[in-house]
Amino acid sequence: MKCPRCVQRIHRAAASCPHCGFTLADADCQFGTEDVQLRSLTDSAGILRRGERQRVEAAMEQITRRFPQVFVAIYTGSLGEISNIRQFGFWLLNRAAFEDVPVEKPNEAGILLTIDPESKAAGIVFGYLLDPFLEESDTFECLSRAHAYWLEGRYADGIVRALAHLDGILRKRSRHARRDPEHFERKVALPAQLGDLVRRIRAGHRPGVPEEEAQEVLW
Amino acid sequence: MRFITGIALWFLAAPASAYVEPSLPAWVDKEQAELEDAGWIPGAILLTDDPIPDEPEKTAEKPLEVEQPKPEEIAEDLKPSPDIAEKFLPAYFAERPKSFLIDPQALLSPSDYRDRLAFLNYHASDSSIDLFVYVMGGDQTIPSEVREEELIERFFSAGRPAVVVYYHLGAPQRSVVYLSPSITDSVSAAEQRRALESSVMQAFQKIEPSEQIEKFLVQMSIRIYWMERMLAGETTASDTLPPAPELAASDRQPVGQSAKFPWMQDLARRFVVPTALVAAVFLTAFGFVHWFRIRARYRFPEFSVEQRLGGAHAAGVGAVISFASAAVPPASQREQVPDYLRRA
Repeated sequence: MKCPRCVQRIHRAAASCPHCGFTLADADCQFGTEDVQLRSLTDSAGILRRGERQRVEAAMEQITRRFPQVFVAIYTGSLGEISNIRQFGFWLLNRAAFEDVPVEKPNEAGILLTIDPESKAAGIVFGYLLDPFLEESDTFECLSRAHAYWLEGRYADGIVRALAHLDGILRKRSRHARRDPEHFERKVALPAQLGDLVRRIRAGHRPGVPEEEAQEVLW
Repeated sequence: MRFITGIALWFLAAPASAYVEPSLPAWVDKEQAELEDAGWIPGAILLTDDPIPDEPEKTAEKPLEVEQPKPEEIAEDLKPSPDIAEKFLPAYFAERPKSFLIDPQALLSPSDYRDRLAFLNYHASDSSIDLFVYVMGGDQTIPSEVREEELIERFFSAGRPAVVVYYHLGAPQRSVVYLSPSITDSVSAAEQRRALESSVMQAFQKIEPSEQIEKFLVQMSIRIYWMERMLAGETTASDTLPPAPELAASDRQPVGQSAKFPWMQDLARRFVVPTALVAAVFLTAFGFVHWFRIRARYRFPEFSVEQRLGGAHAAGVGAVISFASAAVPPASQREQVPDYLRRA
């Protein structure tokens, strides 16, 4: 888990970046505090033609169909020189209200791909639901698949390619999570505090404490 | 060159110019007068247009009044002539034929009979189904008291399976085919009809009756080969039969050659079904897996995640990639750095 501004590792429950102090409020100052309404495919930069839009929407729909909890959103637009695409993605996924996404799918289940054709950069941000299952390297692999297409200005092809790779990663992680959910749960669990450790030791050494009671104390 | 051509033409033309038509004889007046005085001139009757003396002048003869044939009489004439003569019936239908070619009326010439019989003998040696051919006149009919199906059942129930053809010489379209009871069930009526039709078509490629029967028998022999394969249970009729009956007798040679490798055929026959079954199982499994993967729905366990950086919905910041230049490949961007560092 990294800070969108300084890209330094942060604590899994950090209220602000311990390195640069970044919070959503900083992003709000930059991009606005109001929620923004937009569709899941918003081509503000106008880089997708009609036929290409359909292909991209089909690729998004495929992921939505295969992973009923998840949805994909794509935003293309010029963010300007000062903008940081990470911060913008972080801000947008927290502030956006996607019109065409069912209400039962909150933004926690979203995967946002942001493309800035002007600064020629693209980034991926994802919600808390996928926090245990996706890593930075996974998103990097997806973007790498699209890199060659985007270099040639074939944005739609690149997006479809990236989403196809994302689809494969999600399938793999879903199967892994079904087999070993604890592996992923450990990733998001809070770190044990010193007091917890002491309580655990005492509970373990207390004679005659039933197993269930000990578990209760532990947790 | 012109000179040589001229000489050649002269040589060719010389005999023609040398031939002079002899002049007709002419009367010498004196001799003619002497002969007339004698009262007879030889050939005078022939050399004159005058009527022959002492011969009555012919009068125009009236055409004879003949009654015109009635339509029913004409129709009667078109009908085939009566049945096969009784004296030949025993030779045709009394017993199971000893020869593959039955022609007691000697409708085929001896040489044709010999050739056709040789072919039928060859067919019998090469095929497991015999071919018996009853030769009849093109306009003859089998007497009504002869029941062909009954005869076939009586004579051909025992022994090797057989195809029996009642062939009408010069009228192959009137031919009839019967199968011995042992193969009637295996070879469909449609296949029998197709065999007969194709043989008749082949026969009609010729005009001479002797050539027609030759073509007919060759084609029938080829069709019997396919019947044989159906009997062996290798294939079904529809997918093995050639669409057009264009095979000639020589086309059977490769088939005969394949018989040189019976072990290979046996091997293929033995393994074709298991192989097909295994392939079908694999294909079905592959299709099922593919269908399952398409239809599969994946779910993630939902864990409670502490909010970070004040984000209510998301703080999972993934990678950022720049595609500004081909000189900066993704591999060099794996280490994520802040944008301000990248720009610097």
